This record gives sequence, structure tokens and C-alpha cells, in this order.
Amino acid sequence: MIRVCGLRKRYGSLVAVDGVDFEVARGETFGLLGPNGAGKTTTIHMLVGVLAPDGGTVRIDGDGDPMRAAVRRRIGVAPQALALYDDFSANENLRFFGQLYGLTGASLRDAISHALHITGLEARRHDYVKTYSGGMKRRLNLAVAVMHRPDILLLDEPTVGVDPQSRNHLFENIEALSAEGCTVLYTTHYMEEAERLCDRVAIMDHGRILALDTVDALIDAHGGSSVVEAELERPPSEGVAVPGRLNGTSLRVDTARPFETVAQLAGSGLQLRTCVVRRPDLESVFLNLTGRSLRDA
Amino acid sequence: MRTVWTLAKKDLLLLVRDRFGMFWVLVFPLLQATFFGAIFSGQGRGAGQISIAVVDEDRSEESRGLIERLKKSKSLTVFESNRESAATDVRRGKRVAYVAIRKGFGESSRIFMPASAELEVGIDPSRQAEAGYLQGLLMEASFGGIQQTFANPQKMQAQIRKSAEEVAAADDIPASQKAIFQFFFGAMEQFVTKLDPELFKQGAAIAPAKIESVAVRREGRSPRSSFEITFPAAMLWGVIGCTAGFAVSLVTERKSGTLLRLRVAPLTRRDVLAGKAVACCAACVGIIVLLIVLGRLVFGVRVDRPGMLAIAAMCTALCFVGLSMFISVLGRSEQGVAGASWALLLICAMLGGGMVPLIAMPGWMLRMSSVSPVKWGVYALEGAIWRDFSPAEMAMPCAILLAVGAVLFSLGVAINRRIDR
Repeated sequence: MIRVCGLRKRYGSLVAVDGVDFEVARGETFGLLGPNGAGKTTTIHMLVGVLAPDGGTVRIDGDGDPMRAAVRRRIGVAPQALALYDDFSANENLRFFGQLYGLTGASLRDAISHALHITGLEARRHDYVKTYSGGMKRRLNLAVAVMHRPDILLLDEPTVGVDPQSRNHLFENIEALSAEGCTVLYTTHYMEEAERLCDRVAIMDHGRILALDTVDALIDAHGGSSVVEAELERPPSEGVAVPGRLNGTSLRVDTARPFETVAQLAGSGLQLRTCVVRRPDLESVFLNLTGRSLRDA
Repeated sequence: MRTVWTLAKKDLLLLVRDRFGMFWVLVFPLLQATFFGAIFSGQGRGAGQISIAVVDEDRSEESRGLIERLKKSKSLTVFESNRESAATDVRRGKRVAYVAIRKGFGESSRIFMPASAELEVGIDPSRQAEAGYLQGLLMEASFGGIQQTFANPQKMQAQIRKSAEEVAAADDIPASQKAIFQFFFGAMEQFVTKLDPELFKQGAAIAPAKIESVAVRREGRSPRSSFEITFPAAMLWGVIGCTAGFAVSLVTERKSGTLLRLRVAPLTRRDVLAGKAVACCAACVGIIVLLIVLGRLVFGVRVDRPGMLAIAAMCTALCFVGLSMFISVLGRSEQGVAGASWALLLICAMLGGGMVPLIAMPGWMLRMSSVSPVKWGVYALEGAIWRDFSPAEMAMPCAILLAVGAVLFSLGVAINRRIDR
């Protein structure tokens, strides 16, 4: 559905996107995971034809060039910034943007009602956006993006500054759209969101894609070993063999077979107060690929 | 075109909902036009006064008395003048009318004279309301003179004696008739000496002055009132408010992300910019129309050439659309563009007649003002309102406005494209 080949964009001496290649299949939810400044938003802007790439190509559904208005009509975008008119109500925002996509009359009214329904904003539809909470604005931002029923939905950091309740609501909306067959491209720097929503994830940093695969495959390939962390009742006696690193009563064991390690600890005569198994995640993947934590990058 | 209008409607609605913006677009210009209009016209001395010139060609005690009574009227502002200056002032709109007290007024004012005292009122025929009002005030003043005569027995006696002497000296009156007259005047003098003057202070039913109206057409090259100067300037202040507002709105859209959303929508860049331009143009024309309607209804501002006004308003609006587009690229933030726009527009307004009326500018300042599009806007609007421009005269300011607008719009669009690249 989306094919990106050798995409490049430079601002002066800064290379924002440096030879990015990926493909997104129809109905797939694809994640671009990377820290701020990784080049995710610039990539999105080139995907929708707002920015002209310095090199490479973007093709939508075969040979569609997003620079053409007819191709963009099939795309919905929820920008990172809350792209809404604060002095308009939700209804007025949706009406205005719907009209730009050629919706009129009954089809426009239906689209507005549907968008308000799926984002749970019906009760506040006539209130000015400036009176909304951050979470409600995010939901309306999504509503505007989906109201014309696009084939492709581009979501650029859609949960920034959103409370947990609104975040869950947004996730449910995105999962529902995906279930309806909508192709979703989702950028985020929250690994939990990518893990929950995305079929495949591209890890991006400094304008380049470092790895691209399913979440499980990425973890298997780049996540490293699991960690078993245990807290002992008392320090082990002299001569008792303890796996891993011991610091007072805290024990940490890096292992490829965490459950075998837990069983071994239980049978070793050590008295455990707590025991936690930590599987590697996308954070570990990013750490192993870049040498930096995703949150610190 | 439908898309462009959808975009324009959105911007117009946002403008109307922005109370602070509306202050600069509508309230401030209206306050300015009212305040300076009132100051220049002397409205502060009393609302509704009619400014007239009085020409005393009789120079009699009666004419002097009439002038004094007119000066005491709260409804009139009276300036004494000679006939030529008075007529010129009326033609140039400096005075509403002139009142000439013709020679012989004093004589005719005497009781028992066969002819009425004559006054000449020079006024533009189109000012029928003022003419009627002024006629009433003149009648009141002339009645006042007759009342005073009856209330003053000595004056009455003197007038009766003078009339008796004139009859005695007349060659065309038979002796028998002269005797009857002398008998009558004698009896009348007796009557006057015994009359209680207080009775006549209440009013008397005696023939009033005869008032003759003379058409003095205003030449059309000068304003009829100070509001016809302040309102075109106020319209430009309203247009300036729109210009600044729309320049900032483009940056606001870019910063808030709505411009991105518009560009992602199936529109061309041309549609987006055309939407802004149409909205700005409609707002400018709208504010001009609104101010001219308010000026007409409240302050009597009249438009000599409505067709020309439409052309002037459109050319002014198009020029300031170009200026708005250019200003929108003078900064990268809303604060930057707002600062740059007001700095630039205030200079344009100061130079161009937004503060000092063009009609009051010294020659050097008027020449300097030509660099400001505000001057050409004011000039074109004044041309339609009171300067009575012919199509040829209107062509120059309109051509300048359109040329400036086109150049600035092209520059603004080109720089905008580079910013978004």
C-alpha cells in the first residue's frame, strides 16, 4: 500500500532522513519507533506530499504520487501538533475539514456523526475546542483524520500529552480502524504503544532505519537475554554457589532461559523474598542498536 | 472555487469570533472617525448646529438686530462674511448655507410697509432638510424683530412719524388721501403711546420676512463635513486591521499545524493561498461597506459616486491582500509577524493620511505620502465620496493600488513557498 525507496531529506547541513526504505502492506499497522529528532515526522511529511524529498520516491497503492491531490484524498493524517481551530466547535472543525474532502449534505452529516461517535465526543460536539482537555483535543485530531474514511491513516505521535484514559480510547479507535482494513502508519517514541498496536516496527534514529521486523523478531534478534531479578531473605552462606551477580541480598541473572533459571534458584536452597523475570523489549532493542536508551535519546 | 470559498468562510468566521481582532478592524476605526470628525467639525460645541455665513448688505439697525438674534440661536453657528466669500464657503462645503440680508431690509421691516423684508438664503438644493430647518430659524428671528418693535413704543412712534413724513413728501398721493393718512398716523401714534408693550412681548401676527432661496451648488471637490474626511481614513484603518490580522493568521496556521492539515487535504497550494486572499479581500470590502453605511446613517456621510466607491474599495482591498501576504513572511513566529506588520502598517498610515488628513497635508508631506499605499486607498475612497473623481481621475490611484498589491502578493507567495519547502 505504501512503498518508500531511498527517501532523503536534508535541511542545510542536517540530514533529517537518510535513505529510508520500507513497505507497508494493505491493512497492516506499521510503526516508526525512534526518539525525537529521528526523522519520523519528516518522513510522514514526505509521505503525504507536503515536503518534496531530496532523493528517493514515495508511492501509494501502486504508482500513486502523494504530490497529487487525488492520491492525498485517500490518506488521513493526524499531525503531531493539534491541527484544530480553537475558536470552532468540534462540529465546525469536522464540517470544515469534511468539506475540503468533498463531503456535502447527508454524507457530511453522517461522517461528522460517525467521527464524533468513534472518538466519544458527541456530548461536547458544539463546544469550542479551546474548552477541551488535551485528551479530547487529541481525539478530535484523530476524528478529523478519519472522518473521510481514508484507506491509509498516518498518525504522528498521536498520544503526546494525553492522559491514560484518553490514550486507551485512542488505542481502541486505532485497533478498530485497523480491524476495518485501514492501513495505519504510526510514529511514536513510546515502545509500549508500538508493541501493542503495530504488526511491524521500524527502529529509526538519525534519519535511518536501523532495524525493521515484527516486534517479536526484533526482540529475538536485537533484544539480548532476559533478566531474572531476585531479592533474598538473607545473604547466602559461605560456599553456596550463586548464579549471576549478587549485591548484598539483590541478585541479577542474565539468561536466555529465564524460567529454567527461576527453577534452579528455587531448588538451590536460597530463600527468595521476591523474584521477577524481565523479558527484553523494544527499549532493549533500541539500547542494543544505538548504545542509548530510547527515553534518554 | 467552492473549496476556495469554504476556506475563505472559515477565515471570516474566525475573524468575527476574535473579539480583540474585531476591535482593531471595526471599533477602533469607528472611534477614530467619530472622535476626529467631531473635533474637526466643532461638534463638541453642541450637537446639530448648522454653520451659516451671514452677509449684511443693509447695515441697518434692523439687520444688526436680526444677526444678533441669529447668533443667539442654539441651532446655528453664525459667521459674518461678504457675499462672495459666503457663496464660496457654501460651494466648498465649509458652511451649510449663507443668509444675505438684502439692502432695504431695515426699511421693509418697518410696520405699515407694503413689502416684506427680504432675505436671501444660498444653499445646495440637495440639502432640503437643512434648508427647511434654517427657514424656520430665520422666520423665528425675523418675528423677533417685529415683536421688539411693538414692544418699544418710542421706536414705534419714530417709525410712524417717519412714515407720516414720507407720505407728506410724496408727489403721487392726492392731497385728500394725504389728509386721511395724516389723520390715521396721528391716531396711531396716540394708540401706541397708550398701548401696553407687555402685550406684544407675547407675540404678534404681523407679516414675516420674505425668504428667497438661491441654489448654490456645492462644487464636489471639497468635503461637506469633516466626517467625509475622517471616514475614508477610518476605512483604511479597518483595512489595516484586516491586513495585520490575516498576515498573522497565516503564521498561526503554520505554527498550529492547521496549515499542514490543509496542505495534506486534496487541495493545491494555490487553493489555500486563494482562500486566504479571498477572505482578506472580503473582510476589507466588508469593513469599508459597514463604515460607509454607519457614516451615512449616523453622520450623514454621502457618496457622490457609488460605482466609483465599489471600484475604489475593491482596488484598496486587493492592494492590502498583497500587503498581507507579504507581511506574513516578514517573521517566523506570530509575535514576529504581528510586530513587523504593525510597524510597517503604522508607518504607511502615518505617511498616507491615516492620521493627518490628505486635505490638510502640506505640499512636501503630500509628495512624501505617495510612497504609502494608504494614501492611494484614502485618495481613491475620497474620490468616490467627495472628490467627485471622473473615471480617468480614479484610474491612477486604482492602478497604483493594483500594481502594489500584485507585486507584494507575488513576493509573498514566492517567499511562502520557500519557507514551506
